[in-house]
Amino acid sequence: MNSELKNTHPDNDQSGRTAIKVNGLNKWYDEFHVLKDISLSVSEKEIIVICGPSGSGKSTFIRCINHLEPYQEGSISIFGEKLAKNKQSAALIRDNIGMLFQNFNLFPHLTILENCTLGPIWLRNIPEDQAIEQATALLDRVGIAKMAPKYPGQISGGQQQRVAIARSLAMEPKIMLFDEPTSALDPEMIKEVLDVMIDLAGSGMTMICVTHEMQFAHQVADRVVFMAEGEIVETGPPDQVLKNPEWDRTSQFLEHVLSH
Amino acid sequence: MAKQQTQQNELLKFVPRPNRPPITITYGPVGWLKKNLFGNIWNTLLTVAVFSLLFLLLKPFLEWTVLKAVWSASTRRECLEISPDGACWAGIFPWVNNLLYGLYPDNLQWRVNLGFAIGLLWFLPLALKKVHQKMVIALMGVILFPFLANYLFLGGDRSIFHYTIACSAFAYLLIVYVNIVLMYLCGKRLEQYLEPFMARFSQKNTTFLAHVTIWLLVTVLIAFIFRNQTLEHVPVDAWGGLFLTLIISGVSIVMALPIGIILALGRRSEMVIIKWFSICTIELVRSVPMITVLFMSVTMLPLFFPNTMELNKLAQVLVAVCLFAGAYMAETVRGGLQAIPRGQYDAAKSMGLSYWPTMILIILPQALRAMIPNIVTSFISLFKDTTLVSIIGLFDIMLMARNIAIDKNWLGLHAEPLVAISILFFVFCYTMSQYSQRLEKKLDTGR
Repeated sequence: MNSELKNTHPDNDQSGRTAIKVNGLNKWYDEFHVLKDISLSVSEKEIIVICGPSGSGKSTFIRCINHLEPYQEGSISIFGEKLAKNKQSAALIRDNIGMLFQNFNLFPHLTILENCTLGPIWLRNIPEDQAIEQATALLDRVGIAKMAPKYPGQISGGQQQRVAIARSLAMEPKIMLFDEPTSALDPEMIKEVLDVMIDLAGSGMTMICVTHEMQFAHQVADRVVFMAEGEIVETGPPDQVLKNPEWDRTSQFLEHVLSH
Repeated sequence: MAKQQTQQNELLKFVPRPNRPPITITYGPVGWLKKNLFGNIWNTLLTVAVFSLLFLLLKPFLEWTVLKAVWSASTRRECLEISPDGACWAGIFPWVNNLLYGLYPDNLQWRVNLGFAIGLLWFLPLALKKVHQKMVIALMGVILFPFLANYLFLGGDRSIFHYTIACSAFAYLLIVYVNIVLMYLCGKRLEQYLEPFMARFSQKNTTFLAHVTIWLLVTVLIAFIFRNQTLEHVPVDAWGGLFLTLIISGVSIVMALPIGIILALGRRSEMVIIKWFSICTIELVRSVPMITVLFMSVTMLPLFFPNTMELNKLAQVLVAVCLFAGAYMAETVRGGLQAIPRGQYDAAKSMGLSYWPTMILIILPQALRAMIPNIVTSFISLFKDTTLVSIIGLFDIMLMARNIAIDKNWLGLHAEPLVAISILFFVFCYTMSQYSQRLEKKLDTGR
């Protein structure tokens, strides 16, 4: 309700509104300069795919957006509000961003259903039966409603990742971050997860995906960001970056990935 | 083209086979014996050799404990006359009451029994399936039961406050049991019957309101029924035996976990003062022998309190033992916390959970689950360590057993009481260990 009100504000034109604005982000691990002057602006409903060789800082970058990693310089704003290290920014993240991890990170001591209802019940104060109803609907949407009473350890990796998606969606985020969601999966399971992600992209979610799935990038990305050595090398629509890259570093990487 | 078509039609549809139950292999005990002990001639010889060796070793012990033992005599001298190298179990029987209750007056011992029975009853529902909110019942037990137990054990004129809490504890237990009976008979709890009535007053939390209302009413009722009853005062000095041992170990076991968790979280905290306070407490307490902590609690603690304040020895000892147990538990819990992968924190944080919810809902349940064997091990050693309080003159079961040897009729009767209480300790500790294994199995979620 609140978000609808915000959307009708004259300054915030629906499609043109920036969801995330990153400005001059710099991060060091001790002496090691992981992120060098990263600037990126993502507008609402845009789907960004970040690719690049391992160690290029992709994961670190999106973990910074979610405030899981501290950074030393620069600023990150979400819907115009600047992230700071305090409780307010935690609320800002909670209300807007959902995140998926390479290792799913489901809570192993809770059932699939409890994983999905925990957030709504404890953070949104939604009554239990209503939360269960919503979670069941979400699990149905990702195609695993049958698994609801099981524990994460009892289902396959692909199913776990889909549960993780449902768990994030239960918090009704406006932005979803994906940190290599399919890297830990078998080829057969990659597809089932990608299908859910494609479905999600079609529903108008703002998404930033770190992934090596070039097919997926081609299919759904509005923009592809190529990172190497902690820098953004180039940015552009998938056809441009993935077919006719401007920089040698990009084409080098693509050769490696595509020949694989 | 046509060929392709037929080829496609020929594809077989894959239907997974139905699951079969796992095969159970059952060799009888005789089968096991045949296979493992008497499989071939060498095995048989080895078995015979080992068993005869065992028999030779155990024979003297068996003779002492059973075959040549004396079961009835009036003094140790009599015992020795009947059988000089057998155990004198006759010396234990007159002391059983003292071993169990210390010097607690005979005619009041029902209070101790009642107290422990209530304690057992309180935690029994946790094992039942249909009971709701087991955590709440357990928590209430930890908070309320000590008041009720203290009221029963100590007796005397207590303040209204204490009386009320004891009554409310009793009322709570009563309601829990009424609920259990109703649950099994009609599938509805007491407060659910009152819910429509409560809905007139408030829209929200009707169940909770109904629950509290019933609880208050029953408390008042019980307080009214027992208003003229005063229990005879039994000073703490008279407490002793297994009764005292169970109190000390029970309190320290129950307190060790929360103290340990708080210290462990403190040690991992990013707040410098809390971190250093935790580290200092843990390291200080851990690097001092428990006896020292006990002595200090008795001799030094009074220095910190005004002269007029009368401290009771039991309370001092309890504080010391809890602190000691807590410090050890802290390290155990910390080990469990370190085993939780970082991804769990990440997932909780990106969901928006702040520190305490993350810890309580996500991290601690996993950490404690993984630590059950270690936690129970510390509980068991704590249970046994409490016998050290005999050194500072609390008449727990240990000191009581040692005391038998000083009695003029049973002078020098050392071994028999010690063997007797060893058996008792074994029963308690083995039960704990078995329970922990059952708990582990139950909580195993197939990771």
